[in-house]
Amino acid sequence: MITSGLIQALLWGVASGCIYILLATGLNIIFGVMKLVNFAHGQLLMIGAYIAFTVTTALGLNAYLAILVAMGAVALIGVGLERFTFRKVLGTDKLNEIFVSLGLIYVFENAAALLWGNTTRQISSPLQGLQLSIGQIAISYDRLSSILIVVVILVALFLLLKKTKIGLAMRATSQKISASMLMGVNTEKVYMYTFALGAALAGAAGALYGIIFNFNPTIGALPTIKAFAIIIIGGLGSIPGAVVGGLLYGIAENTAVYFLGGVWQDAIAFALLIIVLVIRPTGIFGEKGE
Amino acid sequence: MQKSLIVILVVVIIVVAGVAAAWQLTQVPSAEARNIKIGLVAGGQLAEGQDMDRAAKLAVKEINDAGGVYVAEWHTSVEIELVSIDTVDDSNSKSVGPVTQAVEESQVDLLIGGYTSSGTLANQKVAIDNRVPYIITGASSSLVTRRGPQANYGGLPEGSELRIDDAEGMSYMFHYCTTTADYSATVVKFFAEEMKPLLETTYGFNASRNLKLAILYRNDPFGQGVVADSKAIIDAENLPIDVVIERSYPTTATNFQTDLTAIKEADPDAVYVVDFIANTAEIIREGQADVGLNTVYIAVECCEDPAFYTLLGEYGSDQLLESKFAPYAGPPYYLESIATYVTNYQEEYNTLPGMMGADTYDAFYIAADAIERAGTLDKAAVRAAIESCALDQMLIITETGKIQFSTGTDYHEIAPVTFIEQLVWNEDVNECRSVIVYPATAEGVGTLKQASFALPTGYEPGSP
Repeated sequence: MITSGLIQALLWGVASGCIYILLATGLNIIFGVMKLVNFAHGQLLMIGAYIAFTVTTALGLNAYLAILVAMGAVALIGVGLERFTFRKVLGTDKLNEIFVSLGLIYVFENAAALLWGNTTRQISSPLQGLQLSIGQIAISYDRLSSILIVVVILVALFLLLKKTKIGLAMRATSQKISASMLMGVNTEKVYMYTFALGAALAGAAGALYGIIFNFNPTIGALPTIKAFAIIIIGGLGSIPGAVVGGLLYGIAENTAVYFLGGVWQDAIAFALLIIVLVIRPTGIFGEKGE
Repeated sequence: MQKSLIVILVVVIIVVAGVAAAWQLTQVPSAEARNIKIGLVAGGQLAEGQDMDRAAKLAVKEINDAGGVYVAEWHTSVEIELVSIDTVDDSNSKSVGPVTQAVEESQVDLLIGGYTSSGTLANQKVAIDNRVPYIITGASSSLVTRRGPQANYGGLPEGSELRIDDAEGMSYMFHYCTTTADYSATVVKFFAEEMKPLLETTYGFNASRNLKLAILYRNDPFGQGVVADSKAIIDAENLPIDVVIERSYPTTATNFQTDLTAIKEADPDAVYVVDFIANTAEIIREGQADVGLNTVYIAVECCEDPAFYTLLGEYGSDQLLESKFAPYAGPPYYLESIATYVTNYQEEYNTLPGMMGADTYDAFYIAADAIERAGTLDKAAVRAAIESCALDQMLIITETGKIQFSTGTDYHEIAPVTFIEQLVWNEDVNECRSVIVYPATAEGVGTLKQASFALPTGYEPGSP
């Protein structure tokens, strides 16, 4: 029987899935173009949350405008990361790339603890306390805004990838790097833009996360695991896959909580992952060879 | 005759001088004298752990500035040296290694601290095996001192991994903290004695209607302990309370709307939230802002910390907090020692203290007192001295007005007094502050109640 509680749970699933969609999309873009798995991607979300928190508290900036600042700042961090760490190990043993990203987890967490302390924080939102109610169903304006913002960002991303030269270059590089180099694409620049873009998405996810949830330097780990689960469900390197995977993951998680209780949320969500992999090992939108 | 008297006098003087000199020689400070190493087990990543660290440093500073601790065996006073044992987030995986290092390498004389029940149950084994006195100031699970033979294993079934057969090792554990049973009793009795009658007079509910309680808790020994104890007390004392729903979530959960949605469907009069600061604040906020569950939320005492009040913001207004140390409920305070501690803490650290620090602060004085009475740093002697502690209550109110560790089935626990505070929005500080609403009085304190409990603005009770 479909109760208002179940509908509400589905709505929460979509709302929480949206933040993970952003994170997973960024991860997918980086993997799709650079074939690089960044385990420190969740820490970029955490940094994004702290940057947004800083500009809202220190400068009094609106929390939703702070998302743009967080995106820009984390994109710059992404450029630095690509230039000074991953570029050095890209193309060498995969283990090198993995260990670099694992090391970055601790660097970011400790840097954040040093800069902002270990105290749990939350970004103050101008929409705090406001709610949209339709019958028995209610959703806060913050969560509604997060869904809308994610949609806007994904549409902008789509246009960037489809309608711009850099988007074309990124798609070409993701398909065949050697061919794209032969066509005159500067792959080093493409990598830099790709990582910056992926990081910017993580920064946006972080700023939204900080408006909706409280956060501390160690929150990056769980979103990273969820983002990986989502991109595996959706298909490695597939942006539509990240969107669908994120929605499925969020809905599965919250439906499990509603019916079975919170202790089952991770089990059910990962059961979904296993089911998808068994039925379609490359993920819903994945391609062979990824 | 006169000559004889003079000779006798001289002999007496020589003998007395000789005895005095001999006695003086025995009082020369021993070359073995050294600082007392006390290890503070606290999670540096947690607000509570930072509070414990500050309180420990304050206590050590005060004790050392006052001349240190007199150790009769060494005929001198020595200072306390604080050994920081950072358990990071006090999870099982991170809480054992640092304690092992402190015991085996730093050779601490005594341990104080512990925060989460699961982390403490893990790391206390190191102290048990090495016979190191451990004054546990956190970890509300009573198993930390009841898991051994002295307390009949705390009711743990045979074969349970949590049982410890080493009675001697368990005798080194002391629990200077409220247990889940202690504060659950206060919470459910408050609901039965204060809130239920208020609902009846406000909404015209029938007296035969039980109060509807929802419990939302983290799925670990702490949360499970609270649920079990709450229900046991409700049953044992036949309280007019129905637990209409209980929902648990993994300790890694970060959002709770779906659980709160299910709770809203169960239509409770109040929600008992069992978690630490960050998650409790998140639950109370999500419940009101996202789910529209406009009820009364009650948090547990580990949330009595500045970080909780900051995170809650206006969502904390009119909500409840069970506590045993109320730095926000004054001045004036119900104990003079609290005023002194709050003042000193604020001067030193420019922030208000939390509850975890208060336990820790007292524990350092308990340790100092025990070592002085033992006259030695021999761990067995110190253990015995802690067991016979009879200090006057300090920051934590006790039922007898004394700090005493029991030797019955509530093994090595104190008898603390806990109370319920209601949070009130204070526009001057842009945060909530608290007033004590239950119980009315406490032994050794007198009047405790500062205001009457009032239902929150916009409160929606459960169905009649």
